[in-house]
Amino acid sequence: MIDRVISPEETYDSVNERISAIVFKRQRSWGWLIGFALAFLLLSVLVGSLFWLFFRGVGIWGINIPVAWGFAIINYVWWIEIAQGGTFISAVLLLFHQQWRTSVNRFTEAVTLFALACAGLFPVLHLGRPQYAFYLMPYPNTLGLWPQFISPLVWDFFAVVTYGSVSILFWYMGLVPDLATLRDRTDRKYLRRLYSIMSFGWRNSARHWNHYETTYKVIAALAAPLVISVHSIVGLDFAYTIVPGWHSTIFPPFFVVGAIFSGFAMVLTLVIPVRAIYRLHNVITDNHLRNMAKMLLAMGMFVLFGHFSELFMAWFSGDIYDQYHATHEALGTYAPVFWITFVCNIVLIQLLWFKYVRHSPVILFLVAGAVNVGMWTERYLNVVGSLHRDYLPSSWAIYHGSFWDWSTFIGSMGLFLTLLFLFVRFLPLVSISEVRRLVYERDIE
Amino acid sequence: MNALSKTEVRAELDGKSGPQFWRSLDELADRPEFREFLEREFPAGASEWPNDQLSRRHFLGLLGATLALAGVTGCTRAPADKIVPYVKQPENVVPGQPLYYATAMPLHGRGRGILVKTEMGRPIKIEGNPAHPDSLGATDAITQAAVLSLWDPDRSLAPYLHNRISSWPAFQAELLAVLQKMDADGGASTRILAEPDLSPTLARQRQALLAKYPRLRWHEWSPAGATASAPKPDYDLGKADLIVAIGSDFLSELPGSLRYTRQFAVRRRVLNGKANPNRLYVLESTPTLTGAMADERLPAAPDRIAAVLHSLGAMTTENLNAAEKQFAEKLRADLAQFTGSKIVIVGASEPPEVQTLAATLGARFPAAPPDQLTDLARNLQSGNVKQLFILGANPVYAAPFDLKFREAVAKATFAVHLALYRDETSACCRWHLPQAHFLETWSDILASDGTPSILQPAISPLYSGRSEHELLAMMLGDFQPDGYEIVRETWRAGAPNDDFEPLWRESTHDGVVRKLSAPAAGAALVANAPTAPRLEANQTYLLFRLDPTIGDGRWSNNGWLQELPKPLTKLTWDNAALIAPAMADRLGLTNGDVVELRCNGATVEAPIWILPGQADRCVTIHLGYGRSQAGSVGNGCGFDAYQLRHSTTPWLAVGLEIKKTGRRRELATTQHHHSMEGRDIIRVASAATFRGKPNFASASLTSKASLLPETPPLGPGRYAWGMTVDLGTCTGCNACISACQAENNIPIVGKRQVLMNREMHWIRIDRYFEGSADTPRILHMPVLCMQCEKAPCEIVCPVAATVHDDEGLNAMVYNRCVGTRFCSNNCPYKVRRFNFLEYSAPAGSAFAQRQNPNVTVRRRGVMEKCTYCLQRITAARIASDLQSRAIRDGEIVTACQQACPAEAIVFGDIQDRRSRVSQRKSEPVNYSLLDELNTKPRTTYLARVTNPA
Repeated sequence: MIDRVISPEETYDSVNERISAIVFKRQRSWGWLIGFALAFLLLSVLVGSLFWLFFRGVGIWGINIPVAWGFAIINYVWWIEIAQGGTFISAVLLLFHQQWRTSVNRFTEAVTLFALACAGLFPVLHLGRPQYAFYLMPYPNTLGLWPQFISPLVWDFFAVVTYGSVSILFWYMGLVPDLATLRDRTDRKYLRRLYSIMSFGWRNSARHWNHYETTYKVIAALAAPLVISVHSIVGLDFAYTIVPGWHSTIFPPFFVVGAIFSGFAMVLTLVIPVRAIYRLHNVITDNHLRNMAKMLLAMGMFVLFGHFSELFMAWFSGDIYDQYHATHEALGTYAPVFWITFVCNIVLIQLLWFKYVRHSPVILFLVAGAVNVGMWTERYLNVVGSLHRDYLPSSWAIYHGSFWDWSTFIGSMGLFLTLLFLFVRFLPLVSISEVRRLVYERDIE
Repeated sequence: MNALSKTEVRAELDGKSGPQFWRSLDELADRPEFREFLEREFPAGASEWPNDQLSRRHFLGLLGATLALAGVTGCTRAPADKIVPYVKQPENVVPGQPLYYATAMPLHGRGRGILVKTEMGRPIKIEGNPAHPDSLGATDAITQAAVLSLWDPDRSLAPYLHNRISSWPAFQAELLAVLQKMDADGGASTRILAEPDLSPTLARQRQALLAKYPRLRWHEWSPAGATASAPKPDYDLGKADLIVAIGSDFLSELPGSLRYTRQFAVRRRVLNGKANPNRLYVLESTPTLTGAMADERLPAAPDRIAAVLHSLGAMTTENLNAAEKQFAEKLRADLAQFTGSKIVIVGASEPPEVQTLAATLGARFPAAPPDQLTDLARNLQSGNVKQLFILGANPVYAAPFDLKFREAVAKATFAVHLALYRDETSACCRWHLPQAHFLETWSDILASDGTPSILQPAISPLYSGRSEHELLAMMLGDFQPDGYEIVRETWRAGAPNDDFEPLWRESTHDGVVRKLSAPAAGAALVANAPTAPRLEANQTYLLFRLDPTIGDGRWSNNGWLQELPKPLTKLTWDNAALIAPAMADRLGLTNGDVVELRCNGATVEAPIWILPGQADRCVTIHLGYGRSQAGSVGNGCGFDAYQLRHSTTPWLAVGLEIKKTGRRRELATTQHHHSMEGRDIIRVASAATFRGKPNFASASLTSKASLLPETPPLGPGRYAWGMTVDLGTCTGCNACISACQAENNIPIVGKRQVLMNREMHWIRIDRYFEGSADTPRILHMPVLCMQCEKAPCEIVCPVAATVHDDEGLNAMVYNRCVGTRFCSNNCPYKVRRFNFLEYSAPAGSAFAQRQNPNVTVRRRGVMEKCTYCLQRITAARIASDLQSRAIRDGEIVTACQQACPAEAIVFGDIQDRRSRVSQRKSEPVNYSLLDELNTKPRTTYLARVTNPA
């Protein structure tokens, strides 16, 4: 059984060599350099956009009254859902003793962190006065003022901050033994010093491993419920309001499922090319991809159920505003967005019922990419589609993202990719210690 | 040669802006002393070695001073102004206490009584004068916005000779020579072009001038066509059971409209559960606010209007289509029924054929205004006129195109233009003279019913402006004119000397002259009347109308009025060719399509706007746009409708041709959707339905359970603020929007931001169409913050920046707001406005002087909204606390309520059973907007009761 997640050829040394070689050997890879340069270019677009944003204000975006939330919130939800994938694979699958997670968890955790970094930007940037973002923090002050705890945005703040800290802890915790491996294998002095500081003096002793395992499991146990809580609260940001199309009890679970869906899609989108480039077929096997494809399909079906439930409740409630929203969504102003979502998130994933598709990394890559697009358009529909037509027709208006909306969005991908490129270059992108354990387990089997 | 000092350069440049500024810099640069100034690094005297021996003592002194002063520049940025305390405290000026001055605003030659609020000497707000018959305490949108023009930095700052800055003494020197020439020929080659203005002082000066120069000719002209001297019919609408308006927007465009609206509203109000509404028939070619109030409205082209009127007299309905027949039969029956209590009003811009037919129904109408401009233009062209004095008018822009006034003016050798702005006419005249704003001048004017008012200045002229009285006084030989004495002289004649002072004081204090008699105004000159176009069937008509916000173009540079949505189209910053939906279908046009309008041999390109309720075969264009020299706000907005206006057919042209150009122009509207989508938003019932079921508006409401706590009842001595808006009397005139903008320092955002739906008005007027697109019912609904008791906005704010106070106000804490905009998303009424960019006037601008010091100016990134004029509540609370009493009912009047001519808005304490607002709320027609959401709004609406036959 374990053969399916690790190739029989691999030994302890080969694992060490193969993974740490990515960090040590491929120093002058043109591919990496060009990729990194492109990512950095996009990051510069983000920096430029933010400069203009802080200079002029959020009015550079397309937001208006009634659509007071636009790309910033869409991007926030989209990124934080992408972050979900890593946490789910690492923590939840760890707790369920799914061995196949081992070779992908490091990478997916990194995706989580970097996606979180992007997600975390937007709630602050979208503020009219970002310099006062700290008003959302409960800190003692002379005014005796606290945040308003009944606002879901405050819950959101706590949820994201918690999620972020736990994700960093979890990721770093898993890195410690590998950093020690790197420390032992590098022949450069300054790197050795750096890695030895970062690995906290890890000596691979049984005692260390004992502490490590306990801590890792505890953090995993902490992280697992966050998967639910963060996205429930993101869902509540919308469900708490009285906006037709937002005010719906299905939203919290819907957002959780959507997040897992989105997270797996993004992991697939990234893992397939990384595996090909770094020839990691032996550690990230086809079986990994198949498992993730199945998860993607399962979550996609849940998302479909969520859509159905929304429509059903609009009809069942007899609420004219909800009904108008439901019909207008598919047939009105933003119908193209709706149908893109429909095709990407619902139609295309049905391909995953076929074994051939699940076994073809190329098609999987394309389907997962479509889901990434579909999840973004779905959030666009959620945010804009509901706001642009609410109660009084006199206020109805159209929203379009401006140039700066797009540049900020694309720029945030630059931030994500830049971090990712740095990560694959400077840290082991597969957990060496955990793969070594797989080798051990295979050998004793 | 001495180098110029910085102050001298500044003095040279003072009062120049835009292109002129640079021109004068060039001029300056040509002077050697200015070149030297540019080349010098330090001011004169600072870098030269002193001529005398520099003593050690002196050197050390300079060194010390340098050190000491070097530190000064490093300190915080000092304010640019000097703060100087009063040596003598001016009387009555108490910081924080506003002072009100009664004066009047000239509008179409008639005066509208106003009270000007000044804070520390700065006029900041205009209110209506309750004692004045044309105001009765109310104002319209233009009156509210007039105060902004006072502070407009684009106003003319100095006299100009041939577009180069000059001075009053230089002008007077030339005038002296001209006057000598006029003395010689008796003024034969001299003309004066003035706007119609019923000012007794102006009439007196005119008579004096005509006596001095018997051959001088005085022309009166305005693009609005109103001649001051023409007698105008006056109505008492309160007594009428039947009102028939034929092409007359008597609720908004007549000098007495505010009074008419008040009288009309009295009859339309549901009071004590009873309604006895009058019945209003409106027959018009283009929708008006009066048409929107009609019980029976028929949109019809001018020839069809004539046909309908003809059928009424001929007792036949042949030649009429179904809708016309129905309208005519109902109207005929009602005309017979209400013989004793009917009023028929016909519009001044209707063709004579229609006016004559209307007269048979009992309409009175003013004689067609004599066209005095044609005669002037002809004489200018033929070179008979050498001296031309233009007082206030802008004929180069606004004269009918066939008169070619630009060329005509150029033929006068001594053309003088006195105006508020350096406009199109100024550029063609030898002299431009800055005119003082009416809030800066002494004058007098008659109301629509003849009641005189004295205009007194609320501030001395900000720039070097002079009034037209002062210019006329110069022409009469007084080169040190004093407006105050000129006006007093007019009125002193009407009273014995010892009585005059107290009567004068009383008149200026009250804003109306009761005990002094007005000197009779002189008769205006008579010239040829416009010829009437023949009304033929199947013709396409072009209708010219004054713009509902910027008038004939004189308010072009007023940002408040530019951004004020036109009442029926909701367009801002633009005019458009309004056409009926059926006609648009026929021609394949959609909103924003640019078409070529050809009429009277002239063409103009205009964007199309489809307006339901517009008569077929009629295109309406509004005057006042397409200006090139209005100022930085008004330039380049819209298209110039005057380019199609012929002197013989000023209001109605026949034979319009429309050609598509294929181009489009984006039009900024504040409301994109015009149907209520079957939602129960504006609730309307006929009088008959109302009598059967008085609570028709709220009958279907069932109270729902809520998770949010109920507002606890307040104890004695506390107040629960609430408001009612009467949809039965609201005409949608926009006065409340403009008043709110002035009171609450609401910025304007410009066309591009309006296109992005970011207008900032705290109160808006929603306009819906109901029924067929050709003959819709037009409904208006003012929407402001509802001050919900269970406010959806409050619970979602993460930083508690919008909170409830214990008197029921939904307060905004601007300095706490971080700008998540969540509150706006969750507001079902969408009354919250967000500062997406830095919209407020910068602290150094002239507009900042106008701002209400009691209202926070909101910065970028902050949400804002209506607060029920919290500052006025606070002022009343302070006043009542000082006197140890409760706030009286009616003591607090919100800005929108104060401006409303229909008294549709009532504000007060809903806990007090006897308060007016409580009584209004106990009417059976009272209902809450979106009551199914259970937000418990404090602002409620009174449903509209109509009276169709």
